[in-house]
Amino acid sequence: MKSLGSIRRDFAPWIDPASSPFLRFEDVTKRFGDFEAVDDLSLSIFESEFFALLGPSGCGKSTLLRMLAGFEMPTSGRIILDGEDMAGIPPYRRPVNMMFQSYALFPHMSVAKNIAFGLKQERMAKGEISDRVQQVLKLVKLEDYAKRKPDQLSGGQRQRVALARSLAKRPKVLLLDEPLGALDKKLREETQFELADLQHQLHTTFIMVTHDQEEAMTLADRIAVMDKGRILQVAPPAEIYEAPKSRFVADFVGNVNVFDGTVRSATGGRVTIETTGGFDIVAERDVGVEVGQRVSYVLRPEKLKIAAEPISGPNVMEGEVWDIAYFGPVTSFHIRLDTGAIVKVAMVNATRQSPLQLTWHDRAFVTFDEDAGLVVTQ
Amino acid sequence: MGEAVKPGAVEREKSGGAGNRRKWGIGSRGLFRRVVIGVPFLWLAGLFLVPFLIVVKISLSQTAVAIPPYLPTFGDPSTWWSGLTQLTLDNYVWIASDDLYFNAYTLSLAIAAASTVLTLLIAYPLAYGMAKAPPAWRITLVMLVILPFWTSFLIRVYAWIAILKPEGLLNQLLMSIGLISEPLVILNTPTAIFIGIVYSYLPFMTLPIYASLERMDHSLTEAAADLGSPPLKSFWTITFPLSLPGVIAGCFLVFIPAAGEFVIPDLLGGSRTLMIGKTVWLEFFTNRDWPVASAVAVVLVAILVVPIVIFQRQQARVG
Ligand SMILES: Nc1ncnc2c1ncn2[C@@H]1O[C@H](COP(=O)(O)OP(=O)(O)O)[C@@H](O)[C@H]1O
Ligand SMILES: [Mg+2]
Repeated sequence: MKSLGSIRRDFAPWIDPASSPFLRFEDVTKRFGDFEAVDDLSLSIFESEFFALLGPSGCGKSTLLRMLAGFEMPTSGRIILDGEDMAGIPPYRRPVNMMFQSYALFPHMSVAKNIAFGLKQERMAKGEISDRVQQVLKLVKLEDYAKRKPDQLSGGQRQRVALARSLAKRPKVLLLDEPLGALDKKLREETQFELADLQHQLHTTFIMVTHDQEEAMTLADRIAVMDKGRILQVAPPAEIYEAPKSRFVADFVGNVNVFDGTVRSATGGRVTIETTGGFDIVAERDVGVEVGQRVSYVLRPEKLKIAAEPISGPNVMEGEVWDIAYFGPVTSFHIRLDTGAIVKVAMVNATRQSPLQLTWHDRAFVTFDEDAGLVVTQ
Repeated sequence: MGEAVKPGAVEREKSGGAGNRRKWGIGSRGLFRRVVIGVPFLWLAGLFLVPFLIVVKISLSQTAVAIPPYLPTFGDPSTWWSGLTQLTLDNYVWIASDDLYFNAYTLSLAIAAASTVLTLLIAYPLAYGMAKAPPAWRITLVMLVILPFWTSFLIRVYAWIAILKPEGLLNQLLMSIGLISEPLVILNTPTAIFIGIVYSYLPFMTLPIYASLERMDHSLTEAAADLGSPPLKSFWTITFPLSLPGVIAGCFLVFIPAAGEFVIPDLLGGSRTLMIGKTVWLEFFTNRDWPVASAVAVVLVAILVVPIVIFQRQQARVG
């Protein structure tokens, strides 16, 4: 049996008919004036899941999170958390906590006071509060910084304080709005793994908003790809990448070649697509299509093979080497077909030396297997 | 290839240019800094310190029937030494020995303090409302707050006489709606002084508070709510402490000038409330006793320097 992205996941309550969702958005719409920020959206999230909302800036991710936190009221629809309808419950009574994009640390309070703030609202005993503060400080490795004020911390440390503060009350759901957005690349990568570990330890349900596909892929159990207030696809990272349901999803997550065309024949397990570029693509059929239907064929660059000599068989394209970029693990080629279209090919550098000798303006041949890409209808 | 060039360029900068530039930088910046600090310093010295020292000197002189009405005058350099020996602390002793001055000082400080509190109570909600208004409105609201400055201060205080006097607008209004049957006596009472000061100094309290509230990150109160704090509690634990710099600035901007206020108590307060500004005026123009008037003014400055220094410390810490 084959698996997508060579990962077997044991945590998959969304395919288990016996498990029921912990959190549900039911036909939620949010309008600001005439503008529809969230458009009739339904979504189920399970307990202990690390869920990512991924989409371009302005697609309504933060708005969705803010409705769950209680800062915005849905124009219509319901939000149900652990069996309870959230309508009419003010933010300060909801069992969720949010880590803000700007961190929103209280500048006049020390790190410890910031973290204790939420606990004090619960009328927790003094000793218990300080125990809990110590505990979360340890979790984010900031034990030595308890007495500092936020402006005496680095960006990465502030991020951890914000995280610690939102975790301190042990919320049922932790909301993270672009939690790593303000960190530099290296720190972001380190923090990603820490965040994943933390979620694993705590078993808290995490909902993270991000516009960074790599971040979503690294961290999430499932990703919802959003655009213009709608959810286009909800699936585990490997499925989003290897089996995108639409052009937008394929294009937004990772690099992709898209060939538009018309179905010329669909027989047995195969379709033949006549592309607008003039060549035919023979592909495995995994969606229902009819002859004459307009479809797109999406193909990841690393699923193409490149050669300097002519290749025979179906699914071969020929063109000129237009651009080469060496990234270390992969070398990326841009091949310009005679129609002018650019095809992206990523060659994995599996060995230190390669017999392939190509330079700018050489003729190159590109081929792919029938199951390398995906036929999408939207 | 690109990488081969870069290290070379960095190298060159390190070996020569940067060091020299830094040396030159310090030199020219030092001069520049001295000029930048020096100009306002000379300005303050010429327009504040010198006149103040003249006032101090007059306060140490003796009244005389002359022009100017005090001795010594230091006109002729040859009499400077004998002039210096004539300076005396008599005027300060006089001020200390007469209850009138003590009462005027305490009354001034009490009225200034009370009206500062009143102004704060009105200005804070005003500033809060302005800061929470839609961003597009805010500029207009700020303009409305400073609008009174387009009219002369004196005229605005006179206008209050027309409003507050027994047959004035306020009493006419209250009587016509039947709330009172006889005119209220407000003019020439401390109440009128409070009204005048609160009205006149409201913008000085409102604007700094507005500035500190407006630049506060809105997500802070959201974070407080998210962590379980109801709105009123969030106000006292987050919003108010963070607006304190504005509150303190506003209080000083009201308290200090209000303590020395002359026009408002003179026009609205009548003759029975003798504040220190009025006292200076009386000594100066009615008694023609410039030395005592100067001594009263110098003592007022000395009293107010304390809060000013606290204010400066506070501002420095915020900055
Ligand atoms: N309070 C508001 N009033 C008007 N428009 C808003 C408001 N909040 C968000 N929007 C609009 O809704 C859209 C979605 O915003 P948001 O959810 O913040 O997007 P993102 O996916 O980048 O987090 C944006 O176009 C934004 O301009
Ligand atoms: Mg956002």
